[in-house]
Amino acid sequence: MSGEFDFYTVVPGEDQAETAEIQQFLSQCDLEMEGNIDLFVLAREQRRLIACAGLSTNIIKCVAIRPEYRGGAISLQLISEIVQLAAERGDFHLFLYTRPSGEAFFSGCGFYPLVEVPERIVLMESSPVAIQRYCQRLRQLRQPGAKIGCIVMNANPFTLGHRYLAEQAAAACDWLHVFVVSEDVSLFHYADRFRLVSQGLSGIGHLTLHHGSEYMISRATFPGYFLKEKGIVDHCHTAIDLLLFRQYFAPALGITHRFVGTEPFCQVTEKYNQDMKYWLQHAPSTAPAVAVVEVERCTQQGIPISASEVRRLLAVGALSQIKPLVPPSTLQLLVSDYATGTHG
Amino acid sequence: MKIIKQAIAGTLESSDLMVKVAPSDNDSLDLVISSEVIKQFGQQIRLVVLDTLAKLDVSAGSVIIEDKGALDCAIRARVQTAVLRGAGSDELNWEQLS
Repeated sequence: MSGEFDFYTVVPGEDQAETAEIQQFLSQCDLEMEGNIDLFVLAREQRRLIACAGLSTNIIKCVAIRPEYRGGAISLQLISEIVQLAAERGDFHLFLYTRPSGEAFFSGCGFYPLVEVPERIVLMESSPVAIQRYCQRLRQLRQPGAKIGCIVMNANPFTLGHRYLAEQAAAACDWLHVFVVSEDVSLFHYADRFRLVSQGLSGIGHLTLHHGSEYMISRATFPGYFLKEKGIVDHCHTAIDLLLFRQYFAPALGITHRFVGTEPFCQVTEKYNQDMKYWLQHAPSTAPAVAVVEVERCTQQGIPISASEVRRLLAVGALSQIKPLVPPSTLQLLVSDYATGTHG
Repeated sequence: MKIIKQAIAGTLESSDLMVKVAPSDNDSLDLVISSEVIKQFGQQIRLVVLDTLAKLDVSAGSVIIEDKGALDCAIRARVQTAVLRGAGSDELNWEQLS
């Protein structure tokens, strides 16, 4: 061990042999090569691969160091390299997942734990204060009342089903907080989704509409959610997202009830609803439980209204069948911006 | 100098520090120091950082320090670099900093 390492960046897949080498290295360290990594930082001593760390937008993944080098200078060099690389790409707020046994290591590298699924996984972020600052801002939006409800919606796109759910929830609560998932990877752009929710919920009193954040159903907190069209869900990750909600969002806003629509179509959302009951109500936690209320979806001629059904109809160009499922504002946008042919 | 964007400087290596700066959302100066030697040197680090920021005329922003046992001169240099990057500036009044 000379202690002199060469650090450099590679794009996975560009060099087949090197990619295979990383893959093999990761498997020796009990890790899998994940599919959506943009860049790897590699460290070599002479020509031997000693350590690697991957970056997927603002999430650090696949951090591995050869066992005999662990605890040495290389670990801090490696994390410095990847943090700087992310900064050059404009990402300063970073997240990472690790097994609980890795928490101490990353704590020494400027990462701070957010939530832990006991004995399984810990989500950490690269700031000691970001979540507290976020919660502080939320606390300023607190509303008085004994029963404070919350809905988190992707609204991809907003339908009469969302409107119905919000009406039911608002009627049952002293105040209702509605969050729109802000991650921009859905068919409908965030700006469009937010605007349609805002228009679609108008007239419902005692309601605050919030922008989503990186802490709520984002690529960082719940990567599986955005893979649902492929039917992949990571069970641990629903827990991470829900624990964040219970430990940070709910106490900050005083949320006592979370409302969801029953899910007849999408298995990922159905699984999310089931997990929600466990992680918000039953799982041991220092944070108070949040009651989960499942509201029967409203139907149109016997068929439950859902955004996924609207997307399916849109894909086959069946605009006339969409009309009874959505408010006029959504229909107008579908016709003008998203109808098949205008968007690839 | 005004911090108008996020920036970092330094590393997490031993005897160094990483400085992260960001614009403030309420026009206040918010300094957070994390250090393995916070008990012994936390106050000294804070004084050096605040003094460096004052000389750069930075009165608002979020400044996060991940210290790995850096000397005062290293702390000054890293804070200056992070602030310059965060201010989008490459002009320094060197006399003012000494």
